[in-house]
Amino acid sequence: MDRRTFLIGAGSLAAAALLWRPGMALADVPKAYDASLTPPTTGRDDYIKWMVSNRGEDPKFLGEHWDRYQALLHNHDIWDDKDGRAFLLTPREFFVRTPNLARAYDHAFLDIGFGVTISGPHAVARMTSSLDIKPGEKVLEIGTGSGYQSAYLSHLTDKVWSIEIIKPLAERTRATYDELAAKGYAEFKAIASKNADGYYGWAENGPFDKIVVTCGIDHIPPPLLQQLKPGGIMVIPVGPPGAQRVLKVEKTVAADGSITVARSDIFNKIVPFVPFTKLEGDAIQGNHNK
Amino acid sequence: MRDRISDPPLAPSLPLYLGVGLVAGAVIALQICIMRIFSVGSWAHFGSLVVSLAMLAFGLVSAVMCIGKGFFARRWRLVAGLSVVLFAPLLVAANLMAQQVPFNAIFLLSDPMQKWRLAANFALYLVPFLAGALFLGTVFLKADRFFARVYFADLVGAGLGGLVFLGTLFLLPPENLVVTPIVLALAGGLCWFSATASGRRVLRFDALLLGVGGLAVAAHVVLPPALGLTTLAVSDYKGVSYARKFPDSHLVYRNYSPFGDIAVYGSSYLHFAPGLSDNAAFNMPQVPENAYLGLYIDGEGPSGIIRDLKPEETAYFRFLPMVYPYLLAQNSDTFVIQFGGGISTDVALRDGSKSVTVAESNPEILKAFRTDKTLRDFTGDVLNDPRVHVVDYDGRLYLAAHPASYDVVDLSLADSAGLSAPGGFAIVEKYAYTRQAMETYMRALKPGGILSVTLWNKEEPPKSVLKLYATLVEAARAVEPDDATRATPAAVENSFFAVSSYLSTATVLYKKGGFTPADIAKLRDHTHAMSFDDVYWPGIPFDASATDKLLADYRGSIFSDAPSPAAGKAAVAGAAATEDVEDDGGAGPAPKVLPSTQMGRLAWHALVYGGWPEIADRYVFDSRALTNDRPYFAAYVKPRDLPNLLDRLEIVQDEWGYLLLWATLGIAAIAAVSLVIIPVVFGWRSVFSAAPGKGRTILYFACLGLGYIVVEVGLIADYTLALNNATVSASILITSMLVFSGLGSLTAERTLDRARTVLPAILLAIGVILIGYGFFLDRALVLIGTLPYAWRLLICFLTVAPPAFLMGFPMPTAMTWLARLGKEHMFLWAWGINGCFSVVGAAAVPLIATAFGLSTVLTVGGIAYLVAIPAFFAVVLPILGRGRPSAPGLSPGLSLKV
Repeated sequence: MDRRTFLIGAGSLAAAALLWRPGMALADVPKAYDASLTPPTTGRDDYIKWMVSNRGEDPKFLGEHWDRYQALLHNHDIWDDKDGRAFLLTPREFFVRTPNLARAYDHAFLDIGFGVTISGPHAVARMTSSLDIKPGEKVLEIGTGSGYQSAYLSHLTDKVWSIEIIKPLAERTRATYDELAAKGYAEFKAIASKNADGYYGWAENGPFDKIVVTCGIDHIPPPLLQQLKPGGIMVIPVGPPGAQRVLKVEKTVAADGSITVARSDIFNKIVPFVPFTKLEGDAIQGNHNK
Repeated sequence: MRDRISDPPLAPSLPLYLGVGLVAGAVIALQICIMRIFSVGSWAHFGSLVVSLAMLAFGLVSAVMCIGKGFFARRWRLVAGLSVVLFAPLLVAANLMAQQVPFNAIFLLSDPMQKWRLAANFALYLVPFLAGALFLGTVFLKADRFFARVYFADLVGAGLGGLVFLGTLFLLPPENLVVTPIVLALAGGLCWFSATASGRRVLRFDALLLGVGGLAVAAHVVLPPALGLTTLAVSDYKGVSYARKFPDSHLVYRNYSPFGDIAVYGSSYLHFAPGLSDNAAFNMPQVPENAYLGLYIDGEGPSGIIRDLKPEETAYFRFLPMVYPYLLAQNSDTFVIQFGGGISTDVALRDGSKSVTVAESNPEILKAFRTDKTLRDFTGDVLNDPRVHVVDYDGRLYLAAHPASYDVVDLSLADSAGLSAPGGFAIVEKYAYTRQAMETYMRALKPGGILSVTLWNKEEPPKSVLKLYATLVEAARAVEPDDATRATPAAVENSFFAVSSYLSTATVLYKKGGFTPADIAKLRDHTHAMSFDDVYWPGIPFDASATDKLLADYRGSIFSDAPSPAAGKAAVAGAAATEDVEDDGGAGPAPKVLPSTQMGRLAWHALVYGGWPEIADRYVFDSRALTNDRPYFAAYVKPRDLPNLLDRLEIVQDEWGYLLLWATLGIAAIAAVSLVIIPVVFGWRSVFSAAPGKGRTILYFACLGLGYIVVEVGLIADYTLALNNATVSASILITSMLVFSGLGSLTAERTLDRARTVLPAILLAIGVILIGYGFFLDRALVLIGTLPYAWRLLICFLTVAPPAFLMGFPMPTAMTWLARLGKEHMFLWAWGINGCFSVVGAAAVPLIATAFGLSTVLTVGGIAYLVAIPAFFAVVLPILGRGRPSAPGLSPGLSLKV
């Protein structure tokens, strides 16, 4: 990373200050995003080399990014190439807070302020995999939070809407998107976001093919079920971070127009949700707590 | 504070006893204060942890004093005086600093910094305890000859200090509670100086004490705003923190008392419809907006307080799980066991109940609804509705006492536990959900009446709901009048109906006399219309072939190290192959049964038709029924599985409250053992060589420390059964135990000379009483619970007296004998051992209670006192070479009788 460029102007300076981390100056992305951009999965070095030349990211983070990708594959959190590509293209380090930067690619969820966490990479990957998002599908996210989930989604479809209830957090994350988009992460331009009560969804842009909800509530908001297309899928993490399960809700409309909503776990079977693997160098070992 | 060789000894006097009592009161007030601070700021469990460990301060101080006894004996005025003067500034500084390094329980495992923050909290809050312990230790050392009376002052002061602190909970908000221990310590200091100094020195010391104390309080008040410090850091992850962040949120009501820091917030962002069917979205107009206020107790919540809705706004009630009993019961007399935010009451009224009797056990919540104008207006003053009768205490106790019968008894989602759990379940006694409570509810039903219990079903693997199912079936068998059929399937087969909604709620109906086929058809139609899942109805088909795989899969989901199966890939491949077909069998009439529903059906089948103990044993988590002896939903990890769980604590985060107790027990045990060893290493030869029976003396004081606290903490949990409030129970128990033990200790003075014969008899009596209490106390407390509250308080207070009075004897008797025999080092050391093993005992109580039951806790306490009998004879062994002590009756200890 030999060039350091900072935007001029008070507003963008403020945004840059938000994004700037020690040892990680934000350079322009060498190649603008398009839907065909796909990093190689032939090896760690290939990936790092390609990403440095195409995305201009820090090799240190890219190495961790690759290692976590291997763990996700090992744990079956990524189910196909499009989801793998989305994970590999989403720079998680831009969505965590400075004190946690060193742990950006850890398995764990991290604090991002306001009583909100950025979910662990395994949880995000599994949830996204289970949504099976196809290009062009409309996806609504309730609970923007760090912005990482929507950034991930933006590599799967170009129609992403995201709502955040906490105003300063919504503003901070929007600034992150805008700044990254200005740097060449053009895919983040596809994310429309607003600060509002996600309970009511975003009716004027609905109905949606997929909905991701990440907030605690004692029932599924009826407006969200209404804004889900027939055949659509909604996923909601339920429970405390550790003991969390992902509730999958599918909406089907029969020939006579009657609507059925089916609840299930994202796997429809019993599987451990927290990964029991850890990385040691390139190798995947038994357990991350050991 | 200059010491002289001719320094007069510490003489017994009223100011001395007052001083000791007040400082002991300050120390206990500080303990409760720190627990309150943690409850409100983050998570109550860590408060208990920090307090438990801080109590090790007593052990630490005793070890240091034991080693440096000479210094402390010479410089006692300086040490005690400085300790009491510095208590206030140390407490204020420690508290302010600790609040600047708050830690987040949920990141304890994942963030390496968090454990250091926890350690910093522990270290900081330890400091004021050290000051308190140093003061008391020094006084004990110098008062060894009249220890019984000082000990009396210590116990009574601690007991009353706890009571005073509970009183100040009405007056001070949580962030200013530190003032109470400070004031008590300052008062104690004034008494101390007038007892030990003379003339103008008293005034000088008093001025110093008050000046320093005043400055400390001023610093607590002035420094935070001046330096931008927080006085009580509330975690961002507490429920109330979210409510405060909503743009339109406003505080509607706040009141603090021993019953919690109650806050009610209003915001259009609050939405409640607990367990609402997903089908509501397509079959009704919108859920009404701005229909709720959020109720928070100690920052936990929210519970929804429902607005006075117009009839057309209540259409959505039909889609709530608590509506089930009213599908069958018309024009009913209804009993709502817990008012909560009022939604069950509103559902009962809307569904045509003739009368609704509603109970609420938190008096401060009732007060809020009855007196606060905003809340009364918002709720349409529901508690004053002519159809509504209010019971101002626990519904379970009311039903046990009042033979009136009801058509519907409702216990629905009494806790907001389903929403957020920033740290995990507390080990809290849930007496409303025990088998005995369910029996009470069942007996309160008219013939054909229905008991409806709805619980959060947000766990996978299922935990609480399985315990609920087991509890209800056991209760139904217990109320079956015919002994011959009680154990048969016929006794309960037709009495139950159960449904659940995945990761939402579960509802069980019990009908007295059994459901008719027409009832079941009606209920099942509703279940279908709501898209809920059938879990049990009389005659539900059951497939036993899936049992082994189901149980093995659930175990594997927690304990298997294999990576998760490639379920996703298979699903994707399947979907790709049949692109245009609706996946998941959505088109078929019977969608695939989820494992958790299957587990529920398996449980019901085994409970009704037999085989439940074996299934429960094989299931991954503890799913035994709740009883008055073991009233816990928490502690679902089976103790035998603990070692396998250590490397995956993150997946049982809702169990951390329980696991933390094991950690506390471990740390306390290690600390206690080290504090036993330190004096041995440093002084075995020099100090103890002449003292015989060292091992058994240690055992004696360990038994006393363990036994006393085990009984105290165990009885607090027991008495909640009758007093229905943990805070009230704790205050009555602490005061009663300590005051009566204090009286016992005072009386012990008269039996000192006959200790060799009297004390073993007393220890035996304590053991017998405690073990006896274990057998019948819960039944007695249910009866006591039916009396008017004032009588309950008085009787509870007095029933503690017999064991408490006797438990006051062993400690001062043995301590005084150690002093008489010249074993001064032992004397200090014994006090520390007693303290350390108190911490071990306190941590052990909930572990014993959840595994074996509360009666076992009392048995363990009783056994500890019985073990102390043979150990006591070692305490009174004379020092080698000195022979028997001469004329103990003439010792200064007895000369203080005035």
